[in-house]
Amino acid sequence: MQDLLVNLGGLVLMGAIIWWFWLSGSDSKASEHQHH
Amino acid sequence: MDKTVTLKTTLTISGATCQGCAKKIRNALESLAGSTDLVEVDLDNQTVALPDGIDAEEAARIVTETGYPAEPVQAEGGECCDSQSEKAESCCASSKEQKVTLSISGASCQGCAKKIRNALESLAGSTENVEVDLDNQTVTLPAGVDAKEAARIVTETGYPAEPVQTEDEEDSDGQSEKTESCCASKKASSCHNSQSTGKADKGEAKAKAPQDAHDQKHTSADAGEQVVLSVTGATCASCVNTIEKALMSVPGVTHAHMNLSDNTATATGDADPQALVEAVESSGYGASVIENEDEADARKQEEDKKQYKTLLVKMAVSLTLGLGLMGWGLGTGTMMVTEANQLTWINLGILTLGVMIATGHHFYTGAWKAFKHHNANMDTLIALGTGTAWLYSIVVASFPEALPEMARHVYFEASAMIIGLINLGQALELRAKGKTSEAVRRLLDLRAKTARVIRDGEEQDIPVEDVQKGDQIRVRPGEKLPVDGVIAEGSTRIDESMLTGEPMPVSKGEGDEVSAGTLNTHGSIIYEATRVGSDTALAQIIKLVKKAQGSKPAIGRLADKISSVFVPTVMLIAVVAALVWYNVGPEPAVVHMMVAATTVLIIACPCALGLATPMSVMVGVGKAAEYGALIRQGDALQTAGKLDLVILDKTGTITEGRPAVTRVQASESDENRLLALAAGLEQHSEHPLAEAILAKAKDDEIEPLKVTGFEALNGKGVQGEHDGQTVRLGNRRWLEAEGLALGSLDEAARGITDEAGTPLFLALGETVLGVIGVADAIKPDSKAAIERLHQAGIKVMMVTGDIDATAKAIATKAGIDDYRAEVLPEDKAEVVSEMRGKGYTVAMVGDGINDAPALAAADVGFAIGTGTDVAIESAAITLMRGSLHGVPDAIEISRATVTNIHQNLFGAFIYNSLGIPVAAGLLYPLWGILMSPILAGAAMSLSSVTVVSNANRLRFFRTSHQPIADEQKE
Repeated sequence: MQDLLVNLGGLVLMGAIIWWFWLSGSDSKASEHQHH
Repeated sequence: MDKTVTLKTTLTISGATCQGCAKKIRNALESLAGSTDLVEVDLDNQTVALPDGIDAEEAARIVTETGYPAEPVQAEGGECCDSQSEKAESCCASSKEQKVTLSISGASCQGCAKKIRNALESLAGSTENVEVDLDNQTVTLPAGVDAKEAARIVTETGYPAEPVQTEDEEDSDGQSEKTESCCASKKASSCHNSQSTGKADKGEAKAKAPQDAHDQKHTSADAGEQVVLSVTGATCASCVNTIEKALMSVPGVTHAHMNLSDNTATATGDADPQALVEAVESSGYGASVIENEDEADARKQEEDKKQYKTLLVKMAVSLTLGLGLMGWGLGTGTMMVTEANQLTWINLGILTLGVMIATGHHFYTGAWKAFKHHNANMDTLIALGTGTAWLYSIVVASFPEALPEMARHVYFEASAMIIGLINLGQALELRAKGKTSEAVRRLLDLRAKTARVIRDGEEQDIPVEDVQKGDQIRVRPGEKLPVDGVIAEGSTRIDESMLTGEPMPVSKGEGDEVSAGTLNTHGSIIYEATRVGSDTALAQIIKLVKKAQGSKPAIGRLADKISSVFVPTVMLIAVVAALVWYNVGPEPAVVHMMVAATTVLIIACPCALGLATPMSVMVGVGKAAEYGALIRQGDALQTAGKLDLVILDKTGTITEGRPAVTRVQASESDENRLLALAAGLEQHSEHPLAEAILAKAKDDEIEPLKVTGFEALNGKGVQGEHDGQTVRLGNRRWLEAEGLALGSLDEAARGITDEAGTPLFLALGETVLGVIGVADAIKPDSKAAIERLHQAGIKVMMVTGDIDATAKAIATKAGIDDYRAEVLPEDKAEVVSEMRGKGYTVAMVGDGINDAPALAAADVGFAIGTGTDVAIESAAITLMRGSLHGVPDAIEISRATVTNIHQNLFGAFIYNSLGIPVAAGLLYPLWGILMSPILAGAAMSLSSVTVVSNANRLRFFRTSHQPIADEQKE
């Protein structure tokens, strides 16, 4: 059970990192484009 | 072609930049629309289309609460005409009240505006029908113009354009049916004719598309006033976005723009300034309304100074602690926690936390702000690295027995050292950044504070801001002119050098135009104010300079760019390492997992990163100074390396700037008599050409002949009386108009023109005696410097107010690729912008105040050191030696510096990057090697040593042209 939770937690964390920083888009990219 | 029949554009939104935003908006509106499928978000046009009958006000409220300021689109009843477009959704206004508005980007100056106007002339009928609003980046066209076609033309001209919703000014008081939309849905355009059949929503009275600047000033009902705020705490593009969103969320704001380079935000609309301040403050930044620009400038300078000092203090505190801990570790030989030193480490841990918060809180808040915007920057790396180092260390110090013995190492010193070094880097960066607002301050100093107006027959001194158009203003000798106007009474000589660079005062009489900021040197005049406040020529120059400075990109934050990929990658590696250790690692698996994850995060934080750029910039700036190029802005050093076009001003830049007599050709008398007559005439004049002739006469020891009744005729020449005859010295046009034949002098005159000289004909009575050639000679080293630019692969262009023949002669002589002749001083900036628009990275080299806007508009402005103060302050680089060689020198140094920065960043990252797999335990299965604390420490110091030594290597750099010893001293 513990193994499952730890592994699942790790995978969720990885997914969250990927989603947050890459997939959900970065405001800064858009605003940088806008302001240059 | 797809067409969403049931959906109508209902809202205009702002701040939605990605599919994530679109999804959030769709979800938020699901309850109202019935399904997310019935909500169409168009990110390109920043609009939301909803089914008919949806309460637009309610939808706008929901979307605004979701974080994207939204407003219902203007209500227009009427039938819908479809247009089939894929990208540019247009609103083809056909009602005559409607205007067509395009949103554009990249138009930064009047040059761009002119280009756009010219490009649209055929479509709009006349350039006068095309209104370009640079502030709001919009173009307004008369009703009936095909918006899509207009957008295509403007895009082709170099300014990406898209049609935005049309605005119906007649309807803005609310004469239309509720939400019949005009404009875009995602794939098909729908356009409407206004029929004005009902009552408008409240919000619809507000103009969605920002209006022309002129309208903004005068029709506050639509756009209102501009409120400028001074903002503190904004550091990156994410901050800009947050602040703009916050301002847009304030009711009444139609447009918001944050300028990171001078930390000001401008909100257009009729919002309460206090509400704007509160909105910015609630998003985590400081704000205050700028009422007096002078005060604001002074405040900014004061703040910069304070920030520099604060950073130095923070650096001193954190480095003292870091070095102290490091020294203790070295002294006692260990940084390991034992039973004996456990309590000491806990206390030191708490002290470190205090220091981290006190000296590095800005990194943590910066990291949080970046995180909120789905971004990772250098702050994230620092916060993550120092945070995990501290957290790990405090766990070790508190519960050493829970970890294997080899993992009982503390990293408190690393946290303190990283923060200290990065504070040092930021302080250096701040100093290298330069005082960009200095130029504007000098221009502001040119303004008169008060004006003496005549109202109801009485003279009274009033503040210059209170002068009205049409006021009669008296100006006495020695006084500055407060506003632009036309002389109504009296005549005088006005020193316009501050605006035109022309050193001699210009004679002005009734009906002549005068400009604000110029100096009345002679008589007392009364003139009528024609342009006041921000409409004066001086205010326009100030605005241009400010705009150019503001539109420059921030320092290439390469470290941030790398971090945005590096940090999330490191985080992923840490999680993967933890999972692998947990699943296949030896016991105690949980401990190993934690150690591996934290070590990866610690090792990934390169403390040299903050030093990488500023160290190189500092050495590069010093090296450039050695070559006589004073670099005032750190980013200019980086940009100079990318230049591919250098635009040179002619006078004083390529040439000496002082005219000299190059040829004297007599036809009817001897040359000495010719010169004596000319000198006799010119000794009454103060014109630079007169100086050249007098200097020549003096050199040749020729006594000037007596000439009486001197008169200077603007644009023609000078005349007087000698022996009862009229003596005239002037241009061909004038003498020919007077009916004088030039005869055989024509050829000599052509020769003078071919050599870029000005031929001056001298006539006594009705006989032309000869011609004198006066030319501004090319500086001896200009040609060699231009050749160096060519060798560096840079195109060279010249702009001058001279006639084509003169310009061509100089260009040929100096080896210039291209030239623009007869360019008015105020149009130089337009040429710069035009070339930038063509994709060139442009440098402008000039010396006069009239060059200031062009210098500021260029990617890099080079001011000749012998030029005016304002030119020097407007330029990023000042050439102290007055030689053009400074330009290729600065470019070569810049290229070397940028290479050095890249090497530094590589150095800053490489050890740490190599350390990551070791920290993750990649070598463990092979050789049983786990990350050793010694290696971690070594990697950290090695990267700093690499960066510092590599930056110092730049000190030995030599350009391809060696200045002679005495020049170097300058």
